[in-house]
Amino acid sequence: MSLFEEMQQAIIDGKAPVVKELTQKALSEGIKPADIFPKAIVPAMDEVGRRMRDCEFFIPEVLIAARAARAATDILRPLLVGDAAARPAGTVVCCTVKGDLHDIGKNIVAMMLESAGFRIIDLGADVSAEKIVDAVRAHDANLVAMSALLTTTMVNMKSVIEALAAAGLREKVKVMVGGAPVTESWARSIGADGYGKDAPAAVDLARSLAAA
Amino acid sequence: MEQVKTHRIVLQPTQVELTAPAGTPLRDLLFEQGVEFPCGGRGRCRGCRIRVREGSAELNDAQRERLSEEELRNGWRLACQCSLAGNLVVELRQWDAAILADDSPFVFEPRPGLGVAVDLGTTTLVAQLLDLTTGHVLAVRTALNVQARYGADIMSRVEYATAGDHLPELADLIRRQIASLIDQMIFSSKSVRAEIRDVVLVGNTVMHHLFCGLDVEPLSHYPFESPHAGLQQFRASALAWNLDPQATIRFLPCLGGFVGSDVLAGVLATRLSESEEIGGLIDLGTNGEIVVGNNSRLLCASTAAGPAFEGARISMGMRAATGAISQVVVERQQLVCHVLGNAAPQGLCGSGLVDAVAAGLDLQLIDPSGRFSNGRKEWTLATPVVLTQSDIRELQLAKGAIAAGLSLLLGRLGAGINDVKKLYLAGAFGNYISRASARRIGLIDMPIDQVSPAGNTALLGAKLALFSGDDEGGSYGRLRRKIEHVALKSDAKFQEVFVDGLAFPQLSEVQS
Repeated sequence: MSLFEEMQQAIIDGKAPVVKELTQKALSEGIKPADIFPKAIVPAMDEVGRRMRDCEFFIPEVLIAARAARAATDILRPLLVGDAAARPAGTVVCCTVKGDLHDIGKNIVAMMLESAGFRIIDLGADVSAEKIVDAVRAHDANLVAMSALLTTTMVNMKSVIEALAAAGLREKVKVMVGGAPVTESWARSIGADGYGKDAPAAVDLARSLAAA
Repeated sequence: MEQVKTHRIVLQPTQVELTAPAGTPLRDLLFEQGVEFPCGGRGRCRGCRIRVREGSAELNDAQRERLSEEELRNGWRLACQCSLAGNLVVELRQWDAAILADDSPFVFEPRPGLGVAVDLGTTTLVAQLLDLTTGHVLAVRTALNVQARYGADIMSRVEYATAGDHLPELADLIRRQIASLIDQMIFSSKSVRAEIRDVVLVGNTVMHHLFCGLDVEPLSHYPFESPHAGLQQFRASALAWNLDPQATIRFLPCLGGFVGSDVLAGVLATRLSESEEIGGLIDLGTNGEIVVGNNSRLLCASTAAGPAFEGARISMGMRAATGAISQVVVERQQLVCHVLGNAAPQGLCGSGLVDAVAAGLDLQLIDPSGRFSNGRKEWTLATPVVLTQSDIRELQLAKGAIAAGLSLLLGRLGAGINDVKKLYLAGAFGNYISRASARRIGLIDMPIDQVSPAGNTALLGAKLALFSGDDEGGSYGRLRRKIEHVALKSDAKFQEVFVDGLAFPQLSEVQS
């Protein structure tokens, strides 16, 4: 098994310490940090996404795998600053909306997007529309990903889209939404650009929105 | 086909009459009527004792050990040790005053008149009528919360209340239901209505608000804190209850967030605040509530454990009722399932789920990751009841949330799980769950002899409050000020700790 394959397996198995060790080993062997992303982390997380979709993996394994992937990205990120070859796939501002503290789903999406090569500006949970607008501006983001897990808070997604429009940023960013009570038709009705029914779907959606 | 012989059992003082197949364990019949078995039905305590008025019930060594000769002569038995061998009339002594009088160091000051204690749960209600002079329970009633048809869990009920201005309707429903339970108890015990002076209710914050007619909007979003979570008092006349107009109805104060007076009552009942040693109380429900601490500091929190422990969102899950697999053990590599009501298996209740997963781990059919080994998709426990991969996942989420909550609260106390000397499991599920299985799945990572089922501590605490005076200066008022509520969701470490608690322990980790 090649080093990249070993890394992929360790990520899929959720073995964070092994991933960390293998990442360091790869670097000490002179492998470029920018190569480790597409050759080890992205394919591993795509496989995790596939297994999640096929019910082989459930949230615990996805979280554990994502945490293992983070053991690699934490080492690689600082090394990639200013590396032109490692341009992120896009910059995503993500959060749960005002009033909503249920952030495990959002965190999974953020970790999977990060492993897919996106730069993540994670504003956390219970985030106001103003904060989202500020972050889009400050980080020159091209995607906003929001989640709501309560029917009582999902209405706040609409206010965010309105605030982005009012700030003149709506043309500049694509907005994707998700969360248990959210549906495709709800997403359309509030003028979002896309809805991801689960984390793998969110990654596919982000890729297509970023490429558009 | 052979005709199955059935027998009749009449329960006093409730006058409930049931018919069941010969040989049905009384434990199954009585559990469905809301009777609890503090030791889990193992014949180790006296909590489930009954007095046989007509007919006969078997006698074994466990009962001879726990009951005096005089009690045995007078027809006392332990319900958990008996089964239905013929027609029976039995008197239920559940929740009798023993816990107030001999076993328990609680000193109650006798008061004149009668009182009512109510544990108002999201799903079920338990009410007791007490003689405040003697501490005796005169009658008991259980029921399903009539509001449940408008949402099984607290959030859906909050949504129903706020979305269409249904608050007055929900408040009216539950007030009428409790008034009717009180009427039934007065009737069955032939008590004098005018002697009821005091009614104490406990429940979570949403139940508190929906009974008291308070706006639940603040509970629909972060930070889930209501400005009206304090003690609420009414005169019977204000609720239009058919009692002495001056009788007081008190809903005890909430602790913060969704953690309500049922937990406050639980602390009162388990006396966590009186010991120097660190103790804990866990109520394993949809909102798993946790209290830890000692006489100097107490912390409480709720965790969104999900409904797995109640059998919901489990593919063949059901409440602990007839047909539910409530216990699974491995004997000589063979699976043995206990089905409630001596009936054909229909589904799996919370305790059965925990047992089944523990058994799967022991048989190595389930990996510590929670995945079925060898690509298995489901596991037949007893035809037609199966355990699926996603059922195991639901259980992992539930137990991970509880384990994370416990660990974070202990962390804030500067303590670890090894510092906890006594852990009480509250509620019916706490009585039924096998402590060994709970440990096997990593729900409670401590030696099982330090874990005790504590019964309905909410109801016991409510009863104690009946004797403690009717102002905020009473024992529960002082206690309430001592307990800090922690919003776990805003703890930055929550997710990390939660993920850590998702996998099941390796066999070697639980063998000690």
